[in-house]
Amino acid sequence: MTAASSSKRPVGLAYLIVATLIFLVGVSLPVRAQTPDRALAELLAQTRARMPDACTQPNVDRLVKILCAKRIRVGVRDYYPLFSMRLGDRREGYEVDVALAIGRMLGVEVEFSRVNAATRIPLLAEDRIDLAIATMGHNTQRDGQVRFIRPHYYRSETTVVGPRELPVANMLDLPGRTICVTVGNLSNAELVSQGARLMLFDEAGVLPDRLKDRTCTLAAQDDSFFAKYFTDPDFNARYFQKFGFAQVPWGMAVARQGSVELARALDLISQIFHRDGLFIDIGRLHNIRLGFLQEQQIVWRRAECNTASGVGNPSCVLAPLNTALRPTGFAGDVAAFERWVDDNTGVDIALPMLKTVPAWSLFKDGVANSLILIAGALAATLTFAVVLGVAMGSRSVLLRWPARSLSMVLQSSPIVLTLVIAAAVAHSLFTLSTAVVMAAAIVALGLVNGSNAGQAIGEAVWSLRSEGKAGHGLFGRALDRAATQIVAFLVNAAKGTPIASFVGAPELLSSLTDITSFSSGRATTYSILLLFYAVVVMLVVWLCGRLQRVLERRQVAT
Amino acid sequence: MSDLIAGLSPDFLSSFLAGMVVNFEIAAIALVIGLAAGLLLALGRLTGGVVAAFSISVISLMRAAPTFVVMFFLLNAIPRDATLFGMPFALSGVMIVAVSLVPYSAAYVADAGVDGLRYLQAGSLHGALLFLPNVTRAFFVLVMSSSAGAAIGVTEGITVILRHAEQLPDFDDRLLLFAVGIVLFGIPLQLGLAVMTWFQRRFARPVAEQAR
Repeated sequence: MTAASSSKRPVGLAYLIVATLIFLVGVSLPVRAQTPDRALAELLAQTRARMPDACTQPNVDRLVKILCAKRIRVGVRDYYPLFSMRLGDRREGYEVDVALAIGRMLGVEVEFSRVNAATRIPLLAEDRIDLAIATMGHNTQRDGQVRFIRPHYYRSETTVVGPRELPVANMLDLPGRTICVTVGNLSNAELVSQGARLMLFDEAGVLPDRLKDRTCTLAAQDDSFFAKYFTDPDFNARYFQKFGFAQVPWGMAVARQGSVELARALDLISQIFHRDGLFIDIGRLHNIRLGFLQEQQIVWRRAECNTASGVGNPSCVLAPLNTALRPTGFAGDVAAFERWVDDNTGVDIALPMLKTVPAWSLFKDGVANSLILIAGALAATLTFAVVLGVAMGSRSVLLRWPARSLSMVLQSSPIVLTLVIAAAVAHSLFTLSTAVVMAAAIVALGLVNGSNAGQAIGEAVWSLRSEGKAGHGLFGRALDRAATQIVAFLVNAAKGTPIASFVGAPELLSSLTDITSFSSGRATTYSILLLFYAVVVMLVVWLCGRLQRVLERRQVAT
Repeated sequence: MSDLIAGLSPDFLSSFLAGMVVNFEIAAIALVIGLAAGLLLALGRLTGGVVAAFSISVISLMRAAPTFVVMFFLLNAIPRDATLFGMPFALSGVMIVAVSLVPYSAAYVADAGVDGLRYLQAGSLHGALLFLPNVTRAFFVLVMSSSAGAAIGVTEGITVILRHAEQLPDFDDRLLLFAVGIVLFGIPLQLGLAVMTWFQRRFARPVAEQAR
């Protein structure tokens, strides 16, 4: 062994000790995670390094296209107060400023395009915009159509707004009340399940006016929508946000195809904006509610979230709203049928009542309740007609005049008012239920039509008496003589049953209105409704015609 | 009653009367359209052959069409941006209710029109004039039926009553307000029916005499 070799031994030992120490320190101390800022800088640097060659290549990521073009095309709404407004050539609002801040982070210009609820997803898919920041709620259904940027940049909830003096505080106060909503709002299903009746509108913009002209007593819509109206002292003095429900996070969105790197960059930017409070600053500038943004800032400042991989951490990001409705077993066949009709006739039909379990259940219940209501209204009409007919045909003033007075009152009351009175009386006597509402509607329809038919029977009794035919079987002969009138009012009772939906009877009109409030296909749905009632009423007309012929034959025989 | 008066807003009566004007407006529109369509159908029915069969089918369909469903069909099935011959075809709430009443009024006018035309063919002018009280009766039925507009937010008489009733905390006061509504609707209805009955008797007598 040489001196040289012996002198190397302590050095080698020292290396070994240092290496061991480094290893031990490495395994005992956590690795300092990469920050979102650094991850973003690296991603942008790597992308820029591929330029300008990548700019001319096909199928490159949209991030490359944006950096090459030095502009990002952002879809925003034209009229959504506080969030995105277009005033001539100028745009302003929370979402507009968020888009501009993103442009600054990427070092590109922002080119705005107008989108609305119907076009924001197709425009992304058609590569006409790169990014949508357009009040879009993140739900499981849309997850399959676009790639949502997380963390979310805002969260809204559906709020129920009504006059301050109206005693409504929560969902339990809704049964039997009518609420104005917009078609397609996913929270409509929840309102329906609570027993509320819906009045549908196409655009949210009309709701405040309908509240003011008192067409609507209550209106339900995103709190973000009503935020601007509550900044108006007059509106704020008259109306109040009764309660909120169905919270939904809002997400910026990019196309699912060819946007992996763009989505990653935007995820990181959104993380940074939350952590640094930029979303809060922009929100404060536009007077939007800051509660959610403040909560999110706390989340994204936490050590486990403030990392490059924070968006993959379920404890940091919010889950999308689960809106998937369970499909029926035959939903596929229904969809195939719709396509077949479209292909062969060019008619675009939609049958939402057959495609999801809740809609199918509502539809079946609606049909059953309609048939029960029609049968009940016919039976009640006939019963009241006979009872009132006997009373009005009676020689006793004590029977005749109360019956005549009742008949006059019922004739003077529009059917809607009679139904409301019957429902109000029923509610005061019994606990609210479907059976009670249906029974009240049946009684009201029976009374209105039965009083008219009863009057005809009473007049027939008196006419028979005046002809000297008041012997045995007088009432039977009066029934025969009044047959035409009885049949006319029986048909009228059957035709009038859909109006029971006004007091909350869950018949087919009511069910289909509920179904269309959270799905598409209004034209087809209401055409089916019209067809259903026309067929049922024609069936009733046919049956009543047979009854009339039997009565007329009896009259001829006597 | 004093509680009810205190609970009602001062504009109740004026709002209600304005609402009732809407009821009469809806009924008038439905009757005018119904008269045009119904008289054509009545003529068609008396023509005979295929035209008569077609007219009878249309009248039967119109009789079977429930007003309330037709109203919701018009409200939901016609797109807001629909056009007819290049012109916007979006119906207002009042027009939706009025048009939904047309099947009833047209079928009624067609039936009454057939009777009237038959009297005319038989040379009985008095008999034919019975068409007028029948149409008046239909008008009052239409006024009462136009309250269906409350379901789609049309501000007619019943809508006004229901809105005010919603603000009343006491159940008895609400019932009292409903009774007031019946009286206010009942007065023009009963007056109209009385005039119609007088008119019918006035013309029915000569018809009966002619028949003898």
